Amino acid sequence: MAAKVLDTTRNAVPFDRANVPGPKMAKAVQAEMAGKLISKAKRPLLIIGSAISEEGIVDVIKSMAEKGIPVAATGSSLKRLKDEGIEASYVNLHALVSYLKDPNWKGFDGNGGYDTAIFLGHTYYYASQLMSTLKNFTKIKIISIDRHYHPNAQQSFGNLKPEDFIRALDVVIAQL
Amino acid sequence: MSIKKNRFTIENLENVQINIGRVVSSHEAKESEGPTPAPEIHDLRDWDMKLLERYEPVYSPVCDMCCYCTYGKCDLTGNKEGACGIDMEAHQARETMLKGLTGTAAHSAHGRHLLNNLIERFGEDFPIDVGPSNLKAPLTQTIMGIKPETIGDFIPVLDYIEEQITQLLATAHTGQEGSALDFESKALHAGMLDHMGMEVADIIQVSCLGMPKSQEDTPLVDIGMGSIDSTKPVLLCIGHNIAAVAYIMDYMEEHDLFDKIELAGLCCTAHDMTRYNENAKIVGPMSKQLKYIRSGIPDVIVVDEQCVRADVLREASKLHIPVIATNDKIMYGLSNRSKDEVDDIIQDLISGDQQGALLFDYEKVGELAPRLALKMGPIRKEMGITALPDDEEFKKLTSSCSQCGACVIGCPNGLDIDKAMEAAAGGDLTLFEELHDKCNGCGRCDFECPKGIPILNVIEKGALKFIREEKGKVRIGRGQIGDPEIREEGRNLVLGTTPGIIAIVGCPNYPDGSHDIYEIAEEMLQRSYIVVTSGCSAMDLGMHKDDEGKTLYERYSGRFIKGNLLNIGSCVSNAHISATTIKVAAIFAGRDINGNFEEIADYVLNRIGAVGLAWGAYSQKALTIGTGCNRLGIPVVLGPHGPKYRRAYLGKPYNKDKWNMMDARDGSVQNVEPAPEHMLISAETKAEVMPMLAKLCFRPSDNNLGRMIKLTHYIEMSEKYLGVLPDDWYIYVRSEADLPLAKKEQLLKKLEEEHGWKIDWDKKKILEGPTRKVDVSFQPTNVPRLVKGATE
Repeated sequence: MAAKVLDTTRNAVPFDRANVPGPKMAKAVQAEMAGKLISKAKRPLLIIGSAISEEGIVDVIKSMAEKGIPVAATGSSLKRLKDEGIEASYVNLHALVSYLKDPNWKGFDGNGGYDTAIFLGHTYYYASQLMSTLKNFTKIKIISIDRHYHPNAQQSFGNLKPEDFIRALDVVIAQL
Repeated sequence: MSIKKNRFTIENLENVQINIGRVVSSHEAKESEGPTPAPEIHDLRDWDMKLLERYEPVYSPVCDMCCYCTYGKCDLTGNKEGACGIDMEAHQARETMLKGLTGTAAHSAHGRHLLNNLIERFGEDFPIDVGPSNLKAPLTQTIMGIKPETIGDFIPVLDYIEEQITQLLATAHTGQEGSALDFESKALHAGMLDHMGMEVADIIQVSCLGMPKSQEDTPLVDIGMGSIDSTKPVLLCIGHNIAAVAYIMDYMEEHDLFDKIELAGLCCTAHDMTRYNENAKIVGPMSKQLKYIRSGIPDVIVVDEQCVRADVLREASKLHIPVIATNDKIMYGLSNRSKDEVDDIIQDLISGDQQGALLFDYEKVGELAPRLALKMGPIRKEMGITALPDDEEFKKLTSSCSQCGACVIGCPNGLDIDKAMEAAAGGDLTLFEELHDKCNGCGRCDFECPKGIPILNVIEKGALKFIREEKGKVRIGRGQIGDPEIREEGRNLVLGTTPGIIAIVGCPNYPDGSHDIYEIAEEMLQRSYIVVTSGCSAMDLGMHKDDEGKTLYERYSGRFIKGNLLNIGSCVSNAHISATTIKVAAIFAGRDINGNFEEIADYVLNRIGAVGLAWGAYSQKALTIGTGCNRLGIPVVLGPHGPKYRRAYLGKPYNKDKWNMMDARDGSVQNVEPAPEHMLISAETKAEVMPMLAKLCFRPSDNNLGRMIKLTHYIEMSEKYLGVLPDDWYIYVRSEADLPLAKKEQLLKKLEEEHGWKIDWDKKKILEGPTRKVDVSFQPTNVPRLVKGATE
């Protein structure tokens, strides 16, 4: 039997139903397109939250890190990433968004700020609220490749079933 | 003869009347009023701007639009301006100020209501008595420049707060303030007022109602839904204001009813009930309101004010539980029965002719509530009324769940309710038992289910076995920290040898259940931090036990010294936590606090390692409490729901010029380590928050031993919970004596190899590298006028 077609743009409604910020909400994006957008970024930053217990998700992060995307480990994700041999810098997510909006911030490597923030593995409402800082006060592209639709990103997956989520992430990686 | 406030006529002299207003005592007259007594909005603006320059406001809009006026709605996305000219930043600052102001008004109105009630009962001249302290009202003294001695002395204090609230509220009208920073200054002003309003409310109730006065060994009381004896009639009081409830307890005491009626409280009223009479029990924090009502156990509900659900009457009526409302803030559309006979009201409520009654006559409330409970108890128990499904219905309901996930989307915490339903349909209740603690009891899921499953009731039914065992202990709120305790501990706090005060406060909107704050408190207590707590957090801390079945309150004493756990009391008791830092400045450092807010805040910011943790903060009151702490120089950490407050105050450690400070001895400028690094920040998990709390306790004034202790905890907790040596540990090293003893050599190597510092290995001394050297005489200040020899 042929595999079900993966459509990551379906069910693109805020995961927390009332989390409707305003006229500008994220465009639901296909996994392939998300991968292409990330690959085009000059200074991407992969921002990983503490919700990374789902099977397969750490492998995806590892693959993206191996493709050369720097990883910011927020919350308490760093321990898990280190255990898997993934190089990452710990930073509090609230502090990180304030650094990202500061044109004088030199970034984790001292080479300046970032043009694209990629969100993965976050507590939904926490990341959503802090994406709104980036959305409203920076020019940074916000791409959410998390399991749930994030209205404050520019591009986001819709709400995905667990099995589709990892498939979608594999498609993203294939584009990098 | 003492002169009192009053109105006099003189015999034989017609048309002569003498009015005596507030009487200023000779002692009070001698006190200096300080530079900013009763400050107007702009008086402390310079201090605010200093704070805001270092700790920049960072906004996270909940809504990208402004809907204030009929020009709108205006789309402000991307920091655009709306029709009135306000941009997104200023609008967010205005929103935050308004929300905070709501909280300030709630506490201050509580204080006013209580003051009116207590003056009526005890008179204006009733003396203030908070325990063994000369410094009885530190916040009032610091802000107003007066030293209250009687409860009547608080009248002008509340007059001032109310006037300032009006002035602040006026600034929110469309078309005025356009500066985000100035709205922040106003929010900070509101926060400061809030702390004073809380101080008034708690001091007067402690003084008049015989509540514990700086008492370290207050008794333990029962807490938990499982601790209530439901075989007796149950009288449940919900809210924050003891005024009416005190009459109930007096009546019950006079009529020997405490063994006949189970008197229980929910939310902060419960704390104050136990402070007034230890026979009262605590059901739990706000998260238990809907759950407990739906259990059908309460036979009568009395509500007062603040964190009381808006649907109490609707929910209670479904279960034939009469509701008595006692305060202007909550009237639920009920008839005012204040002038009616108690017997008539009881008859109407028992018969079900009326669902509840509004009563402002507290003598009648005192008599009516217990008598009604005695009558309603047997009637309701015979009827067996509960909202929870029986076993058969439970099975039917869980099996009917289609796993659509609508409840998960509706849940503020995105809890996996669907999975618990599926497991329960198969006979496994463990997921519901886990959900019960994580669920904040809001009931939003009920409205989301397309099949009409009463989800909260199903969760509670599924966790019933667990709930029956939900019994804990809470130490009754002790009130203020006494002057003698400050004398004993103040020095350790300023030098850092007591690593810090961690204030675990606020509401129960936790991201992952209440167990998190128990774990955080336990870790900090084991590390000798002083943990103070209040309100809902203080309740939840008492709900968890160690392997020997003991709660933290049973394991740790309530004295204000390192490694102890202090329940200060209810929401308004939070004032005593911030006031403690003022007491340290006054008693340990001998600072003149009268009308001297800026200097005291400068002292607190730079020298006292106190941090607030509002892990489950949900309310406007929690927001303004946090903001008030910030103006006083106390950093606050919020849980992951915190960014919904829209604004944080964040420092940038890499921005070196923001961390310049003056030495008050000579005005020389020193670049210091970022301590404290942030003023208001959120964290995602308990593992993240623990090292963060340790770091936020650093202060420029730490001596070597103090810094070594603080750095040890910061490094150890980072390694334990985040799995790494923190990448900024070295910033806090000023000399080799700051290094944790057990890791000294290892860390010296890192300083040399990774940071290029010069080390004398023979002497194991740092020769070059730190931002600054330790100088025990350093007098850090951000306020130029405090520099020796400075002119105003």
